Amino acid sequence: MIENLKFQDSFNYAYIDEFTKKEIRRKTLKAVCIPGYQVPYSSPEMPISRGWGTGGLHLTLSLVGPDDVLKVIDQGSDASVNACNLRLFVKEMAQCALTFDTAAATIIQSRHRVPEEILTENQILVLQVPQPEILRGVERHEAKTRMMHAEADYAKIWVTLYEAYVRNGHLRSGAGHPIMVNGRYVATPSPIPGWDVPNLSMARCLYLFGAGREKRIHCIPPFTPVKPLEFEDIRFKVEEFVGIKCQMSGQDKAFMDQIYAEDFSRYFVINDSNFLDKVRQGPRPPQKLFTNPE
Amino acid sequence: MGKLLEVVNLRKRFEMHILNEKEIHALEQVSFNVDEGEIVGLTGKTGSGKSTLMKCIHRTYLASSGQILYTNGQGQTIDLAAASEHEVIRLRRSEMTYCSQFLEVIPRVPAVDVVASGLVARGRSIEEGRSDASSCFERLSLPKELWDAYPSTFSGGEQQRVNIARAMISRPRFLLVDEPTASLDIRTKDAVIDMLIELKNTGTSIILITHDGHTLRRMADRSLHLEDGRLKEVVYA
Amino acid sequence: MDNNWLLRARNLTKIYGEAAPGVLERTGPKFDSNMDPKTGAVAAVNNISFDLYPGEVLGIVGESGSGKSTLVQLLYFDQDATAGEVHFKPFEDGAVNLFELSNQKKRFVRNHLMGMVYQNPRDGLNFRFSAGGNIAEKLLMAGVFHVGKIRIRGSDLLTHTEVPVKRMDESPARFSGGMQQRVQIAKAIANNPPLLLLDEVTSGLDVSVQAKVLDLIRSLQQDLGISMIVVSHDLGVIRMLTDRTLVLKHGQIVEHGLTDQILQDPQHGYTQLLVSSLL
Repeated sequence: MIENLKFQDSFNYAYIDEFTKKEIRRKTLKAVCIPGYQVPYSSPEMPISRGWGTGGLHLTLSLVGPDDVLKVIDQGSDASVNACNLRLFVKEMAQCALTFDTAAATIIQSRHRVPEEILTENQILVLQVPQPEILRGVERHEAKTRMMHAEADYAKIWVTLYEAYVRNGHLRSGAGHPIMVNGRYVATPSPIPGWDVPNLSMARCLYLFGAGREKRIHCIPPFTPVKPLEFEDIRFKVEEFVGIKCQMSGQDKAFMDQIYAEDFSRYFVINDSNFLDKVRQGPRPPQKLFTNPE
Repeated sequence: MGKLLEVVNLRKRFEMHILNEKEIHALEQVSFNVDEGEIVGLTGKTGSGKSTLMKCIHRTYLASSGQILYTNGQGQTIDLAAASEHEVIRLRRSEMTYCSQFLEVIPRVPAVDVVASGLVARGRSIEEGRSDASSCFERLSLPKELWDAYPSTFSGGEQQRVNIARAMISRPRFLLVDEPTASLDIRTKDAVIDMLIELKNTGTSIILITHDGHTLRRMADRSLHLEDGRLKEVVYA
Repeated sequence: MDNNWLLRARNLTKIYGEAAPGVLERTGPKFDSNMDPKTGAVAAVNNISFDLYPGEVLGIVGESGSGKSTLVQLLYFDQDATAGEVHFKPFEDGAVNLFELSNQKKRFVRNHLMGMVYQNPRDGLNFRFSAGGNIAEKLLMAGVFHVGKIRIRGSDLLTHTEVPVKRMDESPARFSGGMQQRVQIAKAIANNPPLLLLDEVTSGLDVSVQAKVLDLIRSLQQDLGISMIVVSHDLGVIRMLTDRTLVLKHGQIVEHGLTDQILQDPQHGYTQLLVSSLL
């Protein structure tokens, strides 16, 4: 039976066959039920290689319907090559609508950024994750890291934070600072900048994290408390763009890209391309802003 | 005066399992008493079993048969030949001290601390211990420049004085001393004897092994003579 | 009277391979082997029982393969015991068998109530972390999430163990063997445990360094009154550190006694051989 259904058409709706989609949805539900816990899943073959966003694609394709409006961004930009290709692929397979407008999208697939604009309960943010296991850096063996998660044994990850502080004098990892989800599992927020981490906590939207190469899904459901790991005396800090304004919009208070001009002078531009368009054209969209503890 | 120690039919045999089960009879049917506050001398030729007897009492050697009944400070009688290891450790920490002929040096510990450790182990502060140790060294005329040196490099006589100081400083209730004056000059010998007699006067009972008639005459209330592991005669001074 | 033990071990057993009936009866010093001729299973630790008292230093001697390292590894939960019970006064007043605890509780006992120093510093230290980070790990496991406090405690411990504090943020990989061992000791005592397990801590160090490490251990024992189990094949180490000694052979205790008695009047042939082999 399976074979009959599977090969009826040259490809199934939304590329992945229904049974596999069902499996991915089931695993996604499990991930929603246990916030921060990594659920293993099948990670079927895709026409792109693993490590190029397959995890995000699996999630998007398992959820997308003809009525959905899709937005795909890569490092904040709708225009990057990878984002364009993924976007066109999903549209071809699922005949869904496309948009650049963060507010209009029902599913947003993203790599390395959470949009600046506040997401709502009608939206799902799918993040592509290269390495879902936050403990991999301190423990090579999968069996051990699973045990460590099961027993909430997170001393080693704390030591890496201690070491990072001793080396750098602050608690600001470049990207992917470990987060404590719902007070139970320490997880990676995917390599997003610290700027975006406070956005994960008590959000109205659903955050899904897919790691295709590593075959893991984890999730932060709406209204889930998420805390970056920090010490009692040394607090986690987001990037500070003090005295810096966006060259194109004149705005501040957003995650900025530093760009070098041809004469080697540098200037800053808002990283989130849709947000930049919006602040240039009209009123500033609603944004969740976070100030560092002093 | 109460009875401190009662040795009954003590026998000690060394069984050498790795030398074709050879057996050495070191002590045979030894019985004697020591009263509280008494100094008992042990005499005899080399190899007659004096040290063996002393070590049996200290439980460094396990008696093969017989009893070593010791009455402790609380008036309880304990058979040292059969008491549990922990009980013997407790006694050694609180009231029984053995002073061998040789100092067991602990690497990197200065002489004054070696001696002070005896007091510290009994709950006194290290400063108190050091000051007591210094006055002890002074009486034993140990050169001052050696006090803070490591005893492993000391001469035999110097090590012996450190050893005696360590044994006496805690003022044990029961002291076992093996040849305390063997390699000392007359003046130091007399100092050691004086100190032991002072200890006795404060209530310490002492068993003393010595080859030296002078030491024996000056100190011992009576002496026991061993020959081939047997108690031959009990000589009263 | 003898109920004030700190740690009580009963019938500790570790069998590698199939724990078939009769393995324990067919191995041990009597058979001059810890390997069962029938099944090939190895009884590394065979029915060992002992008590450790507060403030006591217990020595465990025996040649390689006698089971002495395995024994302390069982106590530290590095390996799972095949059978036996361990009761530990500081944990629920010794009412429960530690081997039956959940992993989480075992980890609590390990991190709060015990310290272990291994022969190989790589077993006890994480060379990818700094010396200070290694100590921090123990403190973090005990719930100290305050960098300032961790730094102060870390430098105190390193001072105490004579490791230059200015090297606190270096990896122990760059330290000498003796210094690595002292960092290990600092880590092991970070949470002031009532019990310290020392497994061949001075083997492989040259004598002057060995003396320093032994000296440190002795002063810890005197200053902090920590109870210790000292595993060594070196009778000199045993004589210097311990009050009481167990002699192990082929997984069983062949003799136990006061350390000076074991060394001067050994009763068992094997111990006599060990003592007479002493340089």
